[in-house]
Amino acid sequence: MRDNVKGGALTEVTFYILLSLYKPKHGYAIMQFIEENTGGRLSLGAGTLYGALNSLADKGWIELCSEKDGRKKEYLITAEGREAAERELMRLHELTETADKIIGGAL
Amino acid sequence: MSRKYYRFFGGLIKTQEKWLNKLAAEGYRLINTGKLLYEFEECKPNEYQYCIDFIADKSKYNAESYREFLEEFGYRVFYKNINLRWSIGKAEVRPWAEKGGRIAMKSSTLDKELMIIEKHNDGKPFELRTTAEDRILYIKRMRAPWIFMLLIFTVFGIFVRSATILAAAAICLVFVSVFQAELIMLKKNAEIME
Repeated sequence: MRDNVKGGALTEVTFYILLSLYKPKHGYAIMQFIEENTGGRLSLGAGTLYGALNSLADKGWIELCSEKDGRKKEYLITAEGREAAERELMRLHELTETADKIIGGAL
Repeated sequence: MSRKYYRFFGGLIKTQEKWLNKLAAEGYRLINTGKLLYEFEECKPNEYQYCIDFIADKSKYNAESYREFLEEFGYRVFYKNINLRWSIGKAEVRPWAEKGGRIAMKSSTLDKELMIIEKHNDGKPFELRTTAEDRILYIKRMRAPWIFMLLIFTVFGIFVRSATILAAAAICLVFVSVFQAELIMLKKNAEIME
């Protein structure tokens, strides 16, 4: 995942994965969450999702939680991951506020 | 009734993928693979879709965890050898692989360089990689062994003055160039998208 470290901006995929993991989910459920919440606009391939989950786990933003009913691996967001997601929400608020000021009135 | 085919695809992963999808469109579903063997059974036309993933750089543990991850999606996964083995004896050295996969053996990813992944056709295109960054990473992973072989064959070919080995180096160069061209295209498109 190429996230802009300096500016703090997350890619859309990263942000959606973090949001999906406020409740524990396995890979397929994450993909469904993203498709449902974007109306199918953002559709993730399984290979890409696998890579993204691994790199987020390496960063410590998500973690594997205990394997429920046998084999399925579930992931959950960590405190650090929540912080990153909240920072992103603030950044987006700031962005939409500015945008509202400039284009909002005309819409 | 089952149908058997013997095919050699080597490094032509996309060609192999297209061939499997063509047969699936005609109503044949993969049920078994061997070194060169592909065995199919009849099914409804267009019932399944296939993708092939290059996994030779993965450690045994990561290859297995990736397979389990894919199976959770309801996909069927076959390991397949790439038929480009150059190992002497039972191990292959892969300096380009990740940690834990650099000495490939039968017990890890030797002769399991590819994964053939089957999905029930739900009308949507079947793609494993959907972001530009991930596609770029994947092509770099596939390119790495060809760069390595290109270097080995070139140095060795010049050293022993063998035209055959230099010809092998030329084949590697073709593959490296094809991946390079793909990378340049992807990077250009990624910039346009931003």
